[in-house]
Amino acid sequence: MKTNNKPLYYILFVAIFAILLPAAYLSGLLSINTISIWGRYFCFAIAALGIDLIWGYTGILSMCQAFFFCLGSYGIAMHLVLQKTSLPDFMAWNKITELPFFWQPFHNAGVTFALCLIIPALFAFFIGYVLFRSRIRGVYMAIITQALTLAMWLLFLRNETNLGGTNGLTDFKTLLGFDLSSAQVKLSLYLVSFAVLCLAYIACHRITRSKFGKVLQAIRDSESRVSFTAYKTANFKLAVFVLAALLAAVGGMLYLPQTGIITPGRMDVKASVEMVMWVALGGRGNLKGAVIGALLVNFLYSLCTSWFPDSWLFILGFLFVLTVLYFDKGLIGLVATVRQRIPGLHFKTSQTTNRYVADSK
Amino acid sequence: MRHFLRPGWILLFLLCSLRGRSQDSASIYVNQILQPSADSVRTNAIHRLVALRDPSTFPLLMAINDKKLYLLDNKAVTTDSKPSGDGNYRLYTVYPTYQLLQNSSGQPLLLPPGKLTAVDIPRADRLALVGIAPLLNLFSNDVQKRMLAYSQVGNLQDQSTLQLVAAAVNRETDENVQRIGREALYAARLYAAKDETNAKVYIDSIALNWSDNAATLLTSYSKEKAFSPAAGSYALAKASRLEKKYDNLQRIQNLFSGLSLGSILILIALGLSIVYGLAGIINMAHGEFMMIGAYTTYCMQLVFGHQAGDWFYVAALPLSFISAGIMGLILERLVIRHLYSKPLESLLATWGISLILVQTARLIFGDLTAVKTPQLLAGGWQVAPHLTLPYNRIFIIVLTLVMVLLTYLMLFKTKLGLQIRAVTQNRQMSACLGVETRQVAALTFFIGSGLAGLAGCAITLIGNVVPDMGQTYIVDSFLVVVTGGVGKLAGTIVSGLGIGFFTKISEAFFQAVYGKVFILLFIMLFMQYKPKGLFPDKGRIAEE
Repeated sequence: MKTNNKPLYYILFVAIFAILLPAAYLSGLLSINTISIWGRYFCFAIAALGIDLIWGYTGILSMCQAFFFCLGSYGIAMHLVLQKTSLPDFMAWNKITELPFFWQPFHNAGVTFALCLIIPALFAFFIGYVLFRSRIRGVYMAIITQALTLAMWLLFLRNETNLGGTNGLTDFKTLLGFDLSSAQVKLSLYLVSFAVLCLAYIACHRITRSKFGKVLQAIRDSESRVSFTAYKTANFKLAVFVLAALLAAVGGMLYLPQTGIITPGRMDVKASVEMVMWVALGGRGNLKGAVIGALLVNFLYSLCTSWFPDSWLFILGFLFVLTVLYFDKGLIGLVATVRQRIPGLHFKTSQTTNRYVADSK
Repeated sequence: MRHFLRPGWILLFLLCSLRGRSQDSASIYVNQILQPSADSVRTNAIHRLVALRDPSTFPLLMAINDKKLYLLDNKAVTTDSKPSGDGNYRLYTVYPTYQLLQNSSGQPLLLPPGKLTAVDIPRADRLALVGIAPLLNLFSNDVQKRMLAYSQVGNLQDQSTLQLVAAAVNRETDENVQRIGREALYAARLYAAKDETNAKVYIDSIALNWSDNAATLLTSYSKEKAFSPAAGSYALAKASRLEKKYDNLQRIQNLFSGLSLGSILILIALGLSIVYGLAGIINMAHGEFMMIGAYTTYCMQLVFGHQAGDWFYVAALPLSFISAGIMGLILERLVIRHLYSKPLESLLATWGISLILVQTARLIFGDLTAVKTPQLLAGGWQVAPHLTLPYNRIFIIVLTLVMVLLTYLMLFKTKLGLQIRAVTQNRQMSACLGVETRQVAALTFFIGSGLAGLAGCAITLIGNVVPDMGQTYIVDSFLVVVTGGVGKLAGTIVSGLGIGFFTKISEAFFQAVYGKVFILLFIMLFMQYKPKGLFPDKGRIAEE
């Protein structure tokens, strides 16, 4: 486990992904595609951090993180498409002669980056404001956000919305003048993603230990008591909801240039539940768990789909059920239990558990 | 006696000869076609028959055109276009009358084409029929062909064609085809009309007859072919009135499909709502129980085969309830009972179950299967010329009514219902008072899943059976539960109908997708005022 008092695990984690993997690529052991795939996993992990903040720490099950993720991706994708042509192909096929107004700002890279963050944040603010104001929580929140994702997915599927419909946006050439197909660019995108993941982790870590984070956890454990002590819980929830949306959007922004395609399939109901599942599997209420869960599930996904494609859904389904039934705290919790069971390791975990308990109190 | 009869014979003979020489010459030509002395004679005879345009020869010409002219005991016969079982065809005489051939016991005579002597007509001769093929089709025994023929007969200003069409319309038996035929006639007469009153009469007739393109026809008349502006504007006014009337009927039709969509949502949401209220379980696999019900229906269709007719559906109704219910019971025992009162966890676990079930169904049944609609439910109830309420949708509505009634009786009139309500209100207290809460929960789960299975059985009537069919309905039915208030029968019904109606109505104005976004916005707005649903609990039980 990597906790603050055990820097060894952090160093190991950073060493593997920041030095070992790139080194393996440079010495020819790994192909650039493998590197790129891990880069994508980091993007998922960034989004997972956001989910952990809102679900694991605040207890709000939001099913629309996939939608925010896609908002970030689509923003960048629109910019990349405009780099290539003045009018995207699919618009020409749909007999549209002029670029729609909402595409216009995406000509400029700076504006694009800003919009990729502002749009999801605004969306999250609006949704969160409406939902938290009427004290919608728990299951109701989950269902409504899921329905929202479904509705948005349907919207993005349409051709009239001018976002590429079912086929999404693809076939990008350059980003800020760099050729996206070149290995160097892919490697640097990988490193950037990793750096952003580390930064996001540190930031989230800080947040969870700040006063703000403590209030979030208090809301999770008993919202009514927090509001009785004169905290405006709705504002805290709104803030963390926007924060989670921003993290998802950042993940999406980095994800796009590495996959080279974004389709509405990334934000359907299935994808949004799956994102929540990464966190559940890794261990919610624990930032490390979120990162590990996202990396592990996606790694498993690429392994399984290439080895036995038919059974991936079975595996995922059983993972869902088993995690929920038996590993309530996810993988991190499992590791902790195993350590406690093995006497030789016992003294180490007692420290961490104490720490954890102290945190959440 | 004979003496008196003789004048009668003479009269009859006279009548026959009055029908003219065409009858005689037609029968001569027919004979020449069936037993030609030379190829040229046959060619000539066919050309003559085509020129005669005698409706009594049309069955024969049609048989030639379709290459279905046969000889049976030296009589010219033709067959149906499709075999009536085991490769045997019904037979019809073609000349001088068109009649179904019967065997000695009064049943239709069935024979395979091999037992008949085909009369070979060369292609060159058949080509002579191309010109009057639409006319022939007017007298076809295939409804589709007749319907199509009216638009193909060509110029109705030609008197002889007009007469033939009029004859065809007169002997028409199918209401819809007759309407199309009448329209063609009225239109021809309207175009020919040269004075105001006549034109108005025909415009009125067309409007009254009201076939599918009456409005378009009148509009185009007013724009291009009207002989006077007055007639033109009269036609235009009629057309717009027709269109308005049509739109209104369309709206009723939409409301009706909204009603049936709402019924399905109610059927699914009913079980969902009861289970959530009682056990605090968000069952994302609920849609998959619906899928199980649908596949049970499909399996029944396979088991019963094609001979059993509608019985497979009758059997499928209870069986889909039971199979989905049992599946629900198994899952309850294995997984869900560990998750009582943990809604968010149960949401994830049941989502996993739904993934497994969908993938299993995909492996067993493949990607797309369909259940054929039972004969009894095919077609619809034609309320007005342009308003047909399909029987299958009516059936779904009735089924939902019955199930809602049964659920109501179960919940409020039986001991089990009393226990369910008690456990829903306060689990611990009920347990203290001796209610077997686990058993009650299991039974509730059985009933809830069974209702979903029944919904699946109903859905096979209006859609395909696909492995992930449950997932298209699950989010909607959760919205129904949320809007209606958890565990509330009345709320489920009202919000189910509301969402069903709203979906269909907004589909009429926007496209389906925007309708969905709209509904969502509406529900979010609604929850601002009623965060606990339509019918929230009051007083103490309202506490969380």
